[in-house]
Amino acid sequence: MAVAPNTQDLTGIETPRTTFGRGSFLQREGPLAALFMIPGWAILLLFMAYPFFLGIYISLTNKRLGRSAYDFIGFDNYRYLWGDSIFQQTLKNTAIYGVGTVPFKLAFGLALALLLNRQFRFSRVFRAGLLLPWIVPTALSSLAFLMLFNSVISPISISLQQAGLIENNINFLGTAWNARISLCVANIWRGVPFFAITILAGLQAVPTELNEAAALDGANRWQRFWAVTWPIIKPITLIATLFSVIWTISDFQLVYVLTKGGPANATHVFGTLAYQRGLNATYFGEAAAISLYMFPALALGAVLLLRNIRREPH
Amino acid sequence: MTDPKVDGLIAEARTLRYSRRQVMRRAAALGLSVPAVTAAMTTSGYAAPNQTRKFASAPAFLQGSSIHILGASYFVVAGEERFREQMAEFGEQNGVDVTLDLVAWPDLQARIAAAIQAQDGVDIVQLWDPWPYLYAENLVDVNDIAVPHGEAHGGFYDWVVKTASVDGSWHSIPYGTSSSAFAYRTSHFAEVGYDSFPDTWEDLFAAGKALKEAGLPPLGQALGHSLGDPPSFTYPYMWAYGAMEVEEDGSTVAFNTPEFVEGMATFIQGWEDAFDTTGTAWDDSTNNTAFLAGELSATLNGSSIYISAGRPEADGGVPEIYEDMNHADFPQGPAGRFTNIGAQSWGVTTFAQDVDAARSFLDFFYGEDQLVSWYNANGGYYIPAASSFSELPVYTEDPKLAPFLNLVNYGRNKGFAGPSDEAAALAYSEYIVIDTFARAVGDGDAQGAVEWGAEQLERVYSR
Repeated sequence: MAVAPNTQDLTGIETPRTTFGRGSFLQREGPLAALFMIPGWAILLLFMAYPFFLGIYISLTNKRLGRSAYDFIGFDNYRYLWGDSIFQQTLKNTAIYGVGTVPFKLAFGLALALLLNRQFRFSRVFRAGLLLPWIVPTALSSLAFLMLFNSVISPISISLQQAGLIENNINFLGTAWNARISLCVANIWRGVPFFAITILAGLQAVPTELNEAAALDGANRWQRFWAVTWPIIKPITLIATLFSVIWTISDFQLVYVLTKGGPANATHVFGTLAYQRGLNATYFGEAAAISLYMFPALALGAVLLLRNIRREPH
Repeated sequence: MTDPKVDGLIAEARTLRYSRRQVMRRAAALGLSVPAVTAAMTTSGYAAPNQTRKFASAPAFLQGSSIHILGASYFVVAGEERFREQMAEFGEQNGVDVTLDLVAWPDLQARIAAAIQAQDGVDIVQLWDPWPYLYAENLVDVNDIAVPHGEAHGGFYDWVVKTASVDGSWHSIPYGTSSSAFAYRTSHFAEVGYDSFPDTWEDLFAAGKALKEAGLPPLGQALGHSLGDPPSFTYPYMWAYGAMEVEEDGSTVAFNTPEFVEGMATFIQGWEDAFDTTGTAWDDSTNNTAFLAGELSATLNGSSIYISAGRPEADGGVPEIYEDMNHADFPQGPAGRFTNIGAQSWGVTTFAQDVDAARSFLDFFYGEDQLVSWYNANGGYYIPAASSFSELPVYTEDPKLAPFLNLVNYGRNKGFAGPSDEAAALAYSEYIVIDTFARAVGDGDAQGAVEWGAEQLERVYSR
């Protein structure tokens, strides 16, 4: 390819010019950037925006599985759900599931990250091992918990019985609160590594000198964490929390495998109820509305949180 | 030299289009030798209708096709093995590639839904009652296979027609059902003074209480979100205490009745006294495991527990339980004795890659020899849909299995007293009746649970 004499761009750096010439379409930053972004945009539109907007549209219709005819019904599905006691129960369950897991995942994750941030023998092995619950497919770990929480042949119950601590099998998944607590425990186990690894990455960015300087100034361990470490890891911790809230609220696999929303709907979350109403009962419109019910609140929360993080002085 | 009586029978069979089985039954009635009749059928070239099709070479219109079958997992291993053999046999005869995907019972509906939404992926699908109503638009008309099949075998039972046909039309072909009877340990019940299985629900709860108090294994019942065992208990119990989902008009909810609230209060007490209370978390397989492990004295189930117990020990059989166990009819309540019975069936999807190939497979499977071999392999687990099959030795030889065939005499469809229609299917899919019981034992509030169930049924039946 013939190369034209070099020219200077706005940065003052000389760049070789092609035979397209100064006015070439591809020489201009705007169109070129747009061109480079097309694949990304295409993926976003095809795999995220399209299903999302289709979901919104379906939630505003009475579409049913396998039926070609359906009508636009506005917000009827949302209104209908608001008065449905199973949906109300699902809202409560989801709130319990979120409140019962995210703070614990954050606390355990933070503690674990602080622990693993220290250098000790095999620290790298421990760091890698920490990821195990996170990288094991959820369906698989859920099945493991299903076995642990089995009503008849749970290894936990059997061990405790053999130790003489209990007489009967523990009804892990058979009463409302036992089932909720069991689900929270499994969710925390699976979610802690995400917090720990994310916060650990943030901790790696905390300059050692700052901590040393604070220590020389007489700050104790707690003061150093609060005044030096926390401000630096706060943004990443908040973002991890935001992700965790979203993932917890939209959880499906764990709940489906362990309880399928039972007993008596005591553990239904949005995902499992949408599955039941959409795939089993064939009401796709209603299922879409269930899935999207929390979207406005979550979106608002995410926007406020992210704006707050951006505004904070670094 | 031929026997004129045999010749006469063959002539009669030609006129009346007897199936092979009908010929044999007639031969038995006339006192003729079965081998002689069989030989005469062969030499005369009589081809009984609904026999397995045997092609000299694979039909050209099927060759190269493929069929993907979606069904629920088997509880009787030999039944699954036989089905796979039949797939292979059909595939070999016709040059068709037949594959099978078996999923857990609670997941079957979701898989069907996914296929329907994608309009792809499944050619033949297994259906529970009353799902044909839900998916009728996506199932091809199979009247031409189902009607002659039923007629050739004494006709389908009423409960089959009510629960598997869609307004009298067949969109799937019924084969029967895996309904439940009470499996119980005779020695345990005898130990607490019951020489036979209790005949009323209250007696059963009293027996269960005595079992528990004597340190014997309790009764076991699943009340989780599952499609098999939980409805097998909850629907009959509801009917036994005078309630039903709807009246005969199919829309007036008749669930919240004082008799049923009282019956529910009895059940709440019975649950504490007589059952393993972890049943609220059980699925369809938990009671099988528990019974075979000797952890239960009685449970509602298909004959799969008995069949599993009777296998060789090396294959997981439990001889002492097999010998000790028996089956019993459902107990009765103040309103009578009831069970829930609904037909399972196979349908061809409208979006099947090759509808003709899929239909041909079902034609093959429902051929008398094939279907009988499948019923036999399942050891009586599936109650047949057509009456003549009920006379098969697999159903009559073992008296311990008699309660399963008796179910047809007191069975009701889901949605009774209304039809087994789409609303009944929805109520079933949303576990409404099951959750009513689970709520009741969860918080001990019989009235509140029944009111909740009635409210949910109103929601479903008013849509």
